[in-house]
Amino acid sequence: MFKNLRTHLINFRQLVRIMGWLLMIEAGFMLFPTFTCLAYGESDWLPFACTALLTGGVGVLFAFKANPTSQHMGKRDGFLLTAMVWVIFSLFGLIPFLFCSNPLSYSDAFFEAMSGFTTTGATVLNSVSDMSHGVHLWRAMMQWIGGMGIILFTLAVIPMLNHSGGMQMFNAEVTGITHDKIRPRISQTAKSLWFIYLLLTLILILLLWCGPMSFFESVCHAFGAISTGGYSSSSSGIAQWHDSIYIKSVLIVFMFLGGVNFGLIFKTVQGDFSALRKNDVFRVYVTIIGIMLVMFSISILLRGQYTDWQSITIDPLFQIVSTITSTGFTVNNFESWGPYVLSLTFVMMFFGSCAGSTSGGAKIDRILYLFKNAKNELYRCLYPNSILSVKVNGKVVSPELVSKVIAFLCIYMLLTVGGGMALTLFDVPLIDAFFSSFSCLSNTGLGAGITGYGNSYDILPDAAKWILSALMLIGRLEIFTVLVLLTPAFWRR
Amino acid sequence: MKIVIAGAGEVGSHLAKLLSNEEQDIMLVDDNAERLAILDANYNLMTVVGSPTSFVGLREAGAGNCDLFIAVTPYETNNIVACSIAKNLGAKTTVARISTYDFMDPANESHVKRMGVDRLIYPEYLAAQEIINALKRTWVRNWFELHDGRIILAGVKLRQGAPIVGMKLKDFAFTNRNFHVSAIKRNHETIIPRGDDHIDVGDILYFTTTRDHIQELISLTGKTEQRIKRVLIMGGSKIAIRLVNLGHEEFRFKIIDNDLDNCHKLPQKCPDCEIIHGDARDTDLLADIGIADMDAFIALTDSSETNIFTCLTAKELGVKKTVADVETIQFISQAENLNIGTVVNKKLLASSTIFQLLLDADSSTAKCLALADAEVAELEARPGSKITRSAVKDLSLPRDLTLAGLIRGDEGMLITGNTVIEPGDHVLVFCLAGALHKVEKLFN
Repeated sequence: MFKNLRTHLINFRQLVRIMGWLLMIEAGFMLFPTFTCLAYGESDWLPFACTALLTGGVGVLFAFKANPTSQHMGKRDGFLLTAMVWVIFSLFGLIPFLFCSNPLSYSDAFFEAMSGFTTTGATVLNSVSDMSHGVHLWRAMMQWIGGMGIILFTLAVIPMLNHSGGMQMFNAEVTGITHDKIRPRISQTAKSLWFIYLLLTLILILLLWCGPMSFFESVCHAFGAISTGGYSSSSSGIAQWHDSIYIKSVLIVFMFLGGVNFGLIFKTVQGDFSALRKNDVFRVYVTIIGIMLVMFSISILLRGQYTDWQSITIDPLFQIVSTITSTGFTVNNFESWGPYVLSLTFVMMFFGSCAGSTSGGAKIDRILYLFKNAKNELYRCLYPNSILSVKVNGKVVSPELVSKVIAFLCIYMLLTVGGGMALTLFDVPLIDAFFSSFSCLSNTGLGAGITGYGNSYDILPDAAKWILSALMLIGRLEIFTVLVLLTPAFWRR
Repeated sequence: MKIVIAGAGEVGSHLAKLLSNEEQDIMLVDDNAERLAILDANYNLMTVVGSPTSFVGLREAGAGNCDLFIAVTPYETNNIVACSIAKNLGAKTTVARISTYDFMDPANESHVKRMGVDRLIYPEYLAAQEIINALKRTWVRNWFELHDGRIILAGVKLRQGAPIVGMKLKDFAFTNRNFHVSAIKRNHETIIPRGDDHIDVGDILYFTTTRDHIQELISLTGKTEQRIKRVLIMGGSKIAIRLVNLGHEEFRFKIIDNDLDNCHKLPQKCPDCEIIHGDARDTDLLADIGIADMDAFIALTDSSETNIFTCLTAKELGVKKTVADVETIQFISQAENLNIGTVVNKKLLASSTIFQLLLDADSSTAKCLALADAEVAELEARPGSKITRSAVKDLSLPRDLTLAGLIRGDEGMLITGNTVIEPGDHVLVFCLAGALHKVEKLFN
């Protein structure tokens, strides 16, 4: 009866074993770029094949030599494992970048890998087109795996994690304030979410392929859009297809879907349309996009940038959806839309979209809590004795949850400012420093180029790249999972 | 299996955790959001905040297409209503927890069925039955029998001086072919023993045997059988009332209760029973009542601690058999290690009943046995199931379950490595917590 009581603070052996399984999965994913290189007759197949072997080998070693004495996993194990997985995946995922035909430095490669897995989509590559097809596919796949979540994928495929230990990992990785399950067992929830994700990806690939994109480009951009990552396989990014209304419209729709709570999409797919209508967060999401479109269009008109009807409809809409979902694709003349648009971009990067989606940012759910609570506080100035509650989706939210959300948002702002200040230490201009810091923490990855500082993140000093990589990880795991590891209480009994 | 549990009280949460560990799909409905939040964050199950007696709440929980609906809120009327709603929505089987005998009365069976309740759990009744069993067989801790005792599983605590203490299990098995040691409970933990394990003082051994060898078992374990006649009950609880009603012909009961109002109500409910107003923790009062002449002492107050300690006192005062109701699950293991005869727990009894339901066992012939970290179940081997394919020793069974005995036709027999289980056999399976789903796979 007492055998489940813990003897260790952290069950390291069990963590190593699960890490082994995870690495084997990563090795499996690496086979895709290997074969792509072989198919296109590129020399990059060798680094990919070697990395896959190395990753798989380490995985097997970890999985079968750890011999945990107990299967038990508590909260600490969940937090630690989830945070470590993202770092270790990046460490193995960067190896092909080091040895490919256009090798990157170690800092650059880590930045690129972390940016991929966290679906930030910030790149250090100046001329993307020079890379081999294998590298393109690997960059796209990193985002795709990271988009729905590495842990969530593992929960879906490894039945051994279908217990409360898996629960802890789920809680540590999935975005949002409360972690709503959509099916009773954690593996079923993970399977359902990944099924929706896979389905949307396949539809998007087909739709893009029907347009002017080649099959390979369709796959890369589909992975980048649905995961709200934003890597492109072309140097000029999505601007290469600037003339195609079709491509832009399709991408708008799917980036938008990438920003919707996947649990909600699951319910809607099952035929429960009322769930969509009743969801406050979804309504606010749509409303914000609408308001932003009006403001963008006005700004464009005022700056005299109007060229044709597209320039005040599709183009700004594309940019808005791309920013708010933290995808980070940019349209051609975004830079010339003026500073007001840039400040709106700041706001949207901060907001992000719905919790439980693949997008980044602070999430609209939290902003909704914040505003409703702020309204209550103002009302309370006049009527101090009134009892007011924050109500979202028709349900009253407990004060503890509201205070957790406000703490989150405070730390979020502090991290942005702190990150920006740290960058200025390395001679990055003020605006660019804060923009980059914000862009990485919210996993948007809008290029530093927008603020007129260099073409890509390549221009930043190495130290700045490591800082930004850390911010990406913190942002992707929604702050608490990473920061709790830094508290003394985590390591003490 | 899709299971909806209405009510996240003590029984509800216990069942939800247990069944979730058994790899079942659990939905837990309750209107207390805080209680659910804790369970939701830490266990592999899904929770729905809503009233268990509302169509809205039960629809959201998916009661309409669940295989099993279990209503275990604190009030039996709520449970009946919840079952009725769930059944009407389309639940396959509904189970309601009740707390009065009225619903269980065979005369009312068809009415209850029409209300949409398929099965009833009456933990107080099960506890009373368990106590009666303990009084009839003072030398065992637990007793489980199939088909009128053709196969019996008995849990016996070994004291210093028992003839088999110190033996290796394989030596014991070699000389005593009529017994199968299915499990050993040692230091808070139940283990499925192997041939090299020793039998130690203080172990609770679970023997499987047939009816004819009971006397032999008593002498092997160094026990003596005692006849119980006079029984003192502390606490006029629901279990006490059930117990007196069930056993008043066989035993002479005295109930001691410190609540005067309750004392006045008891004579109506308990026939042929002496009621005493007072506190049983008072040794002078116990001496006054004549504790020394009592054969058994049963502690059934709401406080587990009080029950455990008064039982210890009663033992010291010379009572031969004591039984304590221990509702705090954490205490059960401790209480079993103390010198208390039998421990009953309503939650374990309730969950044991649900397990029987899950395994689709014919529970009409079996009496459930509730242990803190193990389950005993009777299953029928289906034609073509994995269990019937080869001899038991070649089945490579998981280490956390054991096949103890079987009933073929009308004959009870023990299972050895060479036994081949045939379709239609009723098999007695002893499994540790978490192994139930493995059992299910073996038999279906």
